[in-house]
Amino acid sequence: MTAATRSRLDRLVFLGPATALLMLFYVLPVIVDVAIAFTDMGRNLEVTRVTTENVARIFGGDRRLAQVLTNTLVYVVCTLTLFNVGYALLLALTTTALPDRAGAFFRSVWLLPRMSPSVVYALLWTWVVAPTEYGLLNQIVAGIGMPPLDLKSDAPMLVVVLANGFIGASFGMIIFTSAIRSIPQHLFYAARADGANGLQIVRHVTLPQIRWHLSFVTLYQALSLLVSFEYIWLITDGGPFYDTTVWALYVYQRAFTSGQYAYGAALALVLVAAGIVAALVLWRFFDMRALLQRPRIEVS
Amino acid sequence: MRRPMMAVLATALCGIGLALAPAARGEEIVLKMWARADRSGPLRAGNVVEAAHAVNAWLAAAKTGKTVKVEVFESPAAGFDADALELLKACAVGRCPDLFVASHTWIGEFARSGYAMDLEDFVARHPWAFSDVIPVFWEATKYRGRIHAIPQDSESRMIFYNKDHLRKIGKDEAFIESLPAKVASGEFTAWDFSKLAQEVVQKGAAQFGLLHRPNVGPDYIMTFAAFGVRLLDDGTGKLALPKKELGAALSWIEWNAKNGVTPRNNTQMSWDEIQTAFKQEKAFAYHHGVWTLPEFQLGDAKGATWPKDRDGYFKKIGWILMPAAERGGKPTNLSHPIVYVINPKSPNADLAALFVAQVTLPYYNTKHAVSSAHTAILNGQASMPAYRDTWYLQEATKLLPWSTFQPAHPDFARYNQLLYKALQGVETGRLSVPQALEFLEEEASRELKDQFLVIG
Repeated sequence: MTAATRSRLDRLVFLGPATALLMLFYVLPVIVDVAIAFTDMGRNLEVTRVTTENVARIFGGDRRLAQVLTNTLVYVVCTLTLFNVGYALLLALTTTALPDRAGAFFRSVWLLPRMSPSVVYALLWTWVVAPTEYGLLNQIVAGIGMPPLDLKSDAPMLVVVLANGFIGASFGMIIFTSAIRSIPQHLFYAARADGANGLQIVRHVTLPQIRWHLSFVTLYQALSLLVSFEYIWLITDGGPFYDTTVWALYVYQRAFTSGQYAYGAALALVLVAAGIVAALVLWRFFDMRALLQRPRIEVS
Repeated sequence: MRRPMMAVLATALCGIGLALAPAARGEEIVLKMWARADRSGPLRAGNVVEAAHAVNAWLAAAKTGKTVKVEVFESPAAGFDADALELLKACAVGRCPDLFVASHTWIGEFARSGYAMDLEDFVARHPWAFSDVIPVFWEATKYRGRIHAIPQDSESRMIFYNKDHLRKIGKDEAFIESLPAKVASGEFTAWDFSKLAQEVVQKGAAQFGLLHRPNVGPDYIMTFAAFGVRLLDDGTGKLALPKKELGAALSWIEWNAKNGVTPRNNTQMSWDEIQTAFKQEKAFAYHHGVWTLPEFQLGDAKGATWPKDRDGYFKKIGWILMPAAERGGKPTNLSHPIVYVINPKSPNADLAALFVAQVTLPYYNTKHAVSSAHTAILNGQASMPAYRDTWYLQEATKLLPWSTFQPAHPDFARYNQLLYKALQGVETGRLSVPQALEFLEEEASRELKDQFLVIG
């Protein structure tokens, strides 16, 4: 066997399985989605013609999309900034400042929602914000003499952001905790010696040191939120009316609740495109290439 | 070495022998059935499974050497609409069962797609099974004028009202007991009912005036029908939006939400919250169906105890039809028949149809009716001892003359989702009535295309 043949065989053996899986589970579904999006496939999965009607409907015919798009932006931006990055960072900073055992205990508590089945977690939220006096929140507000709250009707997006945020914060918390732990201790000692207080240490030592982790979590979680809808579906089902219907849920409802598979596929296509654009913009904004470049020095 | 090999060989031969044994005894025909896992009707499939005993006894007596086994796939779908969509997908990829259970509103879609057998001639050929079916139910099984399914059950929907609340606000017994008759005659209207419910709430007898279902379904179609809404245009066979009538119905819903009769967040409440509120007497009225009596109204459930006997129950709770919109108008009831459908492409289609004929007999259907609190599909069932002794079914049967049905149009399920959204929009204050009508017109025109028309 020649060296060239050997090299080609090695590539096939080592890269082949991964490439095949990538094609099967990532590329092929997009191709199928594109194909369906340009048909009239309905409830019985029959295709009678090829059409651009679905795309035309997205760009001018569906008046619900403006509200759905706004909901999606509010949902992604609020959940991401307030919880998946903001609150996760706060948890990481506070729990790493605590003694190890206490910090580990609080982090475990925040990981519990992540370990719960989605349906159980959503049911708990449904009970918490139930509009009657049986709801946990209303039992608390009744205890302090306030009238019952109905967050699912009066502030449904807040419920959706809170429910997703409390479960989403754990991912960033773990990443940031490990990042903070890996910061060389002498940097903190030096800052203390220079007279920096706690907030100044966070601002000038911790945050610059975990910059790449912040960038990664922001990018990864933004893309995750863009396509996530299971808790919204389980808690509000996108309502009342369309008040909490985000794009991904709208895709699901059109395709699988209404049986409009072709229109759902076209909507999903927009989501794929939006995801790619968001990824490229954030990649550029955070200069992720610098994060992934080869180290300039080799430590042996 | 040789002994273990012999043991393995012997075991393998025994296994093959056991596997082939039924074939050696005779041919086994497996009938595949699809039925939604539904605690309100396990015998929809259970009866077909049981019918196999009788069929196998006949086959054995005739020495055919054949047996029939019914295999049931219980779909975990949340409702009949979701179930129908799953079934359509299964059929599209060649996994269609021999027979299945469906809501009558989906017959059109199944027939159009070639998954529902034309049973017109079959029904005519088997009067021993079908001649006693209450004629009105055949109307709910037709697609393009021909029978494409067999009625499996029927039901009666009503507004339950709490008589104790009326006593608390000072209404006399004569008024309380006369309500059902006044509603039936059209003397007591939907607006009269709203004013009464408002009075109950304002005088502090109940927290809520009227609660209704929190998801897509048939109950509000019954409400719309009382306002003269006809969702199917008889002339063209298309789904219709009668703007004037539907506007009136939505105005009634809006008035109820604005005046404390129905909570604005009714559609955000869970079934459990709604039913518990009614059972614990925090709600004056509740719009649903007769099967909720054994489900939670009678006896201990939802944190309260109500009488189980007829007289005790009716001393506390009364039933009325959905009152007419105007004095002298027609009140409504709504039946949502579930049906058996035969897959015409199945090699066992004829056998499946005979199984359905068998389970249409009073013995089987009465077992389902009594155990699930659904009303009869056969005239003769009223005299079956088990049915006769179930007092709430007897009472519910009296409401059937006012029955209406949802349109059996292939696109009705999608239209119904839009109707529910419009209702929710109005009730929660997100939409005014004109905006809701505009929403419906725009969405339905776009989605249902030439199968939809606007009236008025």
